Order: sequence, then C-alpha cells, then structure tokens
Amino acid sequence: MIDPSWIAGLGVILFGIGLIGAFTRKNAIVVLMCIEVMLNAANLNFVAGTMYWGGSDGWVFTAIAIAIAAAEVAIGLAIFLSLYSTQETISLDEANILRN
Amino acid sequence: MSESKSEAGLLVYIIPFLAIVPLMHNQGWDSSDSAILIVAVPFVTFPVILVAGQLYNGHDTWKNKLKEGGILALGALGTSLSAALWIVYDYFDALPDFGDQHSISQWLEWVSFDLLQSDYTLTSETNILGVGVWVDSVTLMLLFVATFLCFLICWFSLGYMNTDPINEDRNHRFYGEFVLFALGMFGMVLADNFLWLFIFWEIMGLCSYLLIGFYYWKESAAYAAKKAFLTTRVGDVFLMVGLFMLYDIYGSLEFSVIFHDPSLHGAVDSAQLFWALLMMFIGAVGKSAQFPLHVWLPDAMEGPTPVSALIHAATMVNAGLYLVARMVPFVDVGHHGVPGLEDLGLIVAYVGGITAFMAAAIAFVQNDIKKVLAYSTMSQLAYIFTGLGSALWFYNHDEHHAAVVVFGASMFHLFNHAMAKGMLFMASGSVIHEVHHAHDHLHHDQGDHEHFDPQDMRNMGGLASKMPVTATAMMVGSMSIIGIPLIGGFWSKEGIIAETWLAALDHEPLMIGPAILVILTAGMTGFYMSRMWFMTFAGEPKSDVVEHVHESTPWIKEPLIILTAISALGGFAFALLGATDYLSSSYGDAGHLKLHESTLMESVIYQLEHAFLPENQNLRLVGWATILLSFIIGPIFAARIHGGQLAEGESATPAVSWLVRISGKFGSQDVSSLSESDLAEALENRLYFDDLYEGLLAKTVLPMASFAAWFDRNVIDGVIKQIESNSVAGSLQIRTITTGSARDYILMAAVGMLSIIALIWGISS
Repeated sequence: MIDPSWIAGLGVILFGIGLIGAFTRKNAIVVLMCIEVMLNAANLNFVAGTMYWGGSDGWVFTAIAIAIAAAEVAIGLAIFLSLYSTQETISLDEANILRN
Repeated sequence: MSESKSEAGLLVYIIPFLAIVPLMHNQGWDSSDSAILIVAVPFVTFPVILVAGQLYNGHDTWKNKLKEGGILALGALGTSLSAALWIVYDYFDALPDFGDQHSISQWLEWVSFDLLQSDYTLTSETNILGVGVWVDSVTLMLLFVATFLCFLICWFSLGYMNTDPINEDRNHRFYGEFVLFALGMFGMVLADNFLWLFIFWEIMGLCSYLLIGFYYWKESAAYAAKKAFLTTRVGDVFLMVGLFMLYDIYGSLEFSVIFHDPSLHGAVDSAQLFWALLMMFIGAVGKSAQFPLHVWLPDAMEGPTPVSALIHAATMVNAGLYLVARMVPFVDVGHHGVPGLEDLGLIVAYVGGITAFMAAAIAFVQNDIKKVLAYSTMSQLAYIFTGLGSALWFYNHDEHHAAVVVFGASMFHLFNHAMAKGMLFMASGSVIHEVHHAHDHLHHDQGDHEHFDPQDMRNMGGLASKMPVTATAMMVGSMSIIGIPLIGGFWSKEGIIAETWLAALDHEPLMIGPAILVILTAGMTGFYMSRMWFMTFAGEPKSDVVEHVHESTPWIKEPLIILTAISALGGFAFALLGATDYLSSSYGDAGHLKLHESTLMESVIYQLEHAFLPENQNLRLVGWATILLSFIIGPIFAARIHGGQLAEGESATPAVSWLVRISGKFGSQDVSSLSESDLAEALENRLYFDDLYEGLLAKTVLPMASFAAWFDRNVIDGVIKQIESNSVAGSLQIRTITTGSARDYILMAAVGMLSIIALIWGISS
C-alpha cells in the first residue's frame, strides 16, 4: 500500500506543473490541457485524503470532478473553435480584445 | 332623408345588446343582480371599441356598418338603459324605508382588514368596503337620466361625429372614451359607499379631460382640457380629505353604515363633521363648476358638442349635486342627524346664489352659442345648489316639511335641467354642424376656414325657417330653462325660489342674500336664453351662409324630438304625480309616484293652485315676481335688442313662427353704447377670474415650481453627477489592469487564491 502522502505529493507536483504551464504557454489548447492537469491534481488529493481518513466522499467527488472536466473540455474546445473562426488564431497573446 | 333611411338599418346590430336584459329576465335573474350589467357591459365594450378601432381603421365594415364603433357604443348603452329601466320599474314603487338596508344587492367584500389597536391586538371586527348597489328615489332618477341621455346623445353622435371629415378614422377614440365615461357615471350613481363613488368620480374626470382634448392639435383645446382637469383636481383633493375625515369619524365609508345613525348616539363632534362635509362640498363645487372653481366649464366647450351635451351639461356636472344630496342624512336632525351644521346649508346656498347670478351676467355678452349654454348650465346648477343649501338648513332645524319640498324641488330641477340642457346642447350642435356644413359647401374653394366661426351667433339669424326641428327643440328647451309657466323647469324652479325666500323671511335673515340673487337670476335667465334663441333663429340672416343651411344630417333629429316632448310635458306630468315628494323620500317617509287627488282633473287644479296661488302671502308675491321677471321682462328686453321678423318670403314652422312674430313687435333698441361700457368688457372677460387665477398662479405656484426645478437641477442632480464623475475617474484608473491576456488573469486568480489560503492560515494559527 502506497503511503497517501506520496500521492498527495504527486498531486502537488502535478498542480505546480499545470499552473506553470498555464502561465507560460501561448497555445490555448495547451493551456486547457494544463488546466486539466491541475484538475487531476486536485482529484489525486481527494484520493489521498480518502485513503487517509476512510469513507467514500472523496471517490464521489472525484467522479463528479471528472465529469465536470469532460464538460469543461467540450465547452473550452467549442470556444477555441469559434475563437479561431473569428480571430484566425488560438494564440492567447493575440486574443486580447477585451483589454482595458 | 334617403341617407337617413338607409342608415336606420344599422340598428339591427344593436339588437343582440338589447336582447341581453330580457334574456336575463327570462332566466330568472333579479333586476338588482342585473344592476351589475349597467356598469359591466360598457366596461367590456370600451376596450373592444378602442382596440378594434386601431385594428380595423378605415376598413369598410368598421366604418360604414359599425360607424367606427358608434353602433357598438350605442348597443352597450342600450343594454345599460334597459337594465336601468328594469331597476326603475322594479323599485320605483317599493323603496326600502330610510335607515334600513338600502343596498339592494351586495356582491362581494372588496376590502376587509383588521386594525392594529393601541394595545397591539387586532380588532375582531373587520372593516369592509363592499361592492354593491344603493337604491333610493334619487338614485333611480339619476340612473334614468344618465342612462337615457347617454343613449340619446350617443345616437346623436352617430350623426354629428361621423359626418364631420375632421373626425374621420379617429371616432373610435371618441366612442371608446364616451362609453368609459358612461360607465363612470352609472357606477357613481349606483355606488353604495363613498369610496366607490370617488373612484367613479375620478373616471369621469379622466374622460372629461380626454374628450375636451379630443381635438388636441388645437392649442385652445389642449389648454382647456388641462385647465378642466387641474381645476376639478383642486376640488377632488378636498373631497379626498373630506372622505378621510369621514372615515376617521365613522370607521367606514358605506352608506348603510354611516346613514344608519350619523350622530353615533350623539357622540359625533359637530365641528369635525362640519369640516369633513365642507371639504366634500368643495369637491362638489369643483365638479359642478361653481364659484370659485367655475373657470373650467366655459373652456370645456372646446370639446365636440356631444361631449358638451353629455358631460358638461347633463350628467357629470350633476355629480357634485348628487354628492351634496347625499349629505342630507348627516344634517337631518329628525333622523339621527347631527345638530349644529346649519352653517353648511348657508355656505352651500351662498355659493349657489353667487354662481347663479354671476354666470347669468356673463352669459349676457357671450356670442358663442355653446358658451351661452355653458354659463346657463353653471347658473342652473347653482339654482340646485341654492335649493340644496336651503334643504340642508331646513333639515338641520327639523323643519321637515319645508326641507322635503325644497330638496324634492332641487332634485326635480336636476331632472328637468338635465333633459332640457342635454337637448339644448344637441340642438346647438345641430346648428353648428349645419352652419359649418353650409359654409364648407359655399366656400369650399376658398379655404378661409380660419376666419369663419360656425359657433358665433353673429353669423346666424333667421334660421327658424331653415331648421324647423332644431328651432322648436331649442325654443322648448329654453322655455324649460327659463321656467315659462307650465313648461318643464317651471315646476321645480318655483319651488327652489319660493322655499329659499321662505327660509329668508321666516327663519334665517342671512338667507336673504341667496334669495335675492336667485330671483334676479330668474329674470336674467329669461333674457339670455331668449337672446340666444332670437340671435340664432329670428331676424334676418346675418351672413350669406344661412341661405344654404339644411337640416339634413341623419341621426340628429330623433333625440331632439324625444327630448322636446319630455322637456315640454315631463315637468308638468311629474309634478302631477308628486315628483317633489317622491324624490325627497330618500330621506324621510316613503313616497309614491301617484296623483295627489283622486282624479286627473282635480290633481291638475290642485297643482295649478299650488303653483300660482299658494296660501302663504309672501310666497304668492315671490312666485308672481319670478314669473313676471322670467316670463315677461327678460324675454321682452331680449326681443327689443335681438328680435325681428324673418326675411321676405321665409316662413317658419307654426310651432315657432308665433314666437318670431312676437319678437319683432317690440321694436329694436340699439345697445352699442351699452356694449362698449366697462361692465360689458368686464363680463366679456368673465369678470377677470381667469386673469386673477393665472396671476395668482404666476405669483405663487410658478416661483415655487422654478425653485423646485433649480433645486432639482443643481442640488439633487449635482450630488448625483459628482458621484458619477468620481466613479468614472476611479474606473479609468482601475481598468488599466485588465490587459486582455488570459495569462495575467490566471496569475491574478492564483495570487488571489494563495492570499486567501495565507489569510485562513494566518487566522487559524
């Protein structure tokens, strides 16, 4: 049995990777992937917590989070498609018409 | 005439409306339950007319078959009339006794609530304002007058409004508002509490405003509408205050609750009640155009003539009288009334006397045919106010017999005046319409409409041979208003004058003021009404237009003929049946409409003796003085100034030719020097009341209004604008951080989240 603290540690690392990726990358799809990584890091923390404290709440939350992540991807991709059809780019640096 | 015949077929469309009431009777309904129809049918019809008018404007069926809604309006008013006749038939002989429940039907409790008392408990009894119908002899009389005249004037409008090209495609507005007005009047008459009375009162005020401003593109019409609305509003505010005070005293506005025992076993403070009734009286003064709130009525003649006939002569202006008539139980000390209110009677009588005299004087110099009638209306309504004032005074002194006579006479005069004045306005409308038509026919290529006023009597003269029906109607109506012996208003006006004098001579010296004013006014009425008739119908034509006048418009003659008969004979007939006693039975012993003596002949003799040779010497003197002034002196002066034979070759119908012939017998008097005097100028300027009020408004209200406007612009708006500009500047600063780059936002979210975590950590440790 793996110690839950390892799993929580993996979650923290994954969250950091996702966060840095979301900051630094230009491509909207990559940013979306980074956000998914962060979500899964949170899921891992749920898993770790459930293993540590027992009970089944964490499993349920995880299942719900995965479903929400799927829906979010669908919406995110739809936004990027319409972004591309109007701006002809999916670079986040150029999609800034809402500034100021 | 052929046009008239083809349009009679349109009456087919109102048959379904007229079938409603017989159908309900067949189904076993009571007449009291059908009372709701009187208000409900117009209530349903008026939006239908307005909406359908918008949808089908210019459509052939709508325009020619339904007369732009006129036929629908006529049908709805016909339903109201038939339901009202049913109620009159059922109840006129079987009125409930005074003090008992007069509400013949109460359908639902409209407002009921508990009151929080000072010891924080709720009252167990609820205060209720119901929806119901109150019937006594005054209600029956006014209900008949209102429904009957609404129906006839709507009929008249079909001819008057629909043949005038200026109204084309907007008559549905007229008919819609007309029906709404009618529902207001019917509701006010039927209401069984003061709050409903007030609501319907306001509906009438609104319709008066809308209909006076029917020709709203004319500046004078728009101004007149505003003036009428605002002037009556002054009175309405006082009426509302009076109703608040009344509610404070009695805890209810229901007639049946209040009238049961208005003194509350002697617990009512007469000073408080006096002020409440005085406030309500000011409301009545505004609605009935009495001094000092009379200025709106002459201007209201800017509206179409049927509106003047209905609202400003026959029905709405009677609302104030009705309200004062409803004050009788408060002062009737014989039936639990509150003693010590005789000042109210004096005030009412003085307002009436002053208005009667003043309006009659102003009518001397008016040249606009409708303005003469408007001032005449004010003057005659003032008669009724004087009578009601004497009645209130008598009731408060327990002079029951005199009170009953003068109250009945006042209500009877209301009936006679409404019939005659409604007809006179319709007749004047007929004259105006035909003169206007003739002028258009004559000068259709010149386009000088602006310079010709079809209402100016100086353009008429000699119309007796051109318009026989109208001339007869106008003659009979004028006679009824003047009080020519045996005709119409004579029977009621004599009673008012005689009893006011009785009050002055035998009881209250202060009553001498109104008494003198009303008897002088009787003579003046004789002058100005005769003057109007002679200027319009007698003498030689004063303009080339008269040659081409024909009485040809359909729908106009029938109401005139019906009302001529009622004006001529109705007064005598109802006097024979004891209308005076009957109408005052609302507040006293039950009365019945029946002959005073056993046979018709004896009754006729009794009434004639009663009218011409009363036992009281003073009354006999007063009666004959009135007859002398109104029948002989007034008309003779008018004939000397304005009378004259018709032009060569013209002959009038026999009904009026004798009058034309007589009018030429008194020679002619030149009054041009008199008409240039200061007095004539003052009268022409309506005794400067309008200038006075406008000056007062300019000195008081306008500075206040401009100060309020300044305060609003600079102080209130200033504060708001300062807040606005500060927040704009602030947001200009803040918006620089929105870069539009998603990366920055993610950074902000991360930083925010981290700071929240840090914060929670800091607090918890």
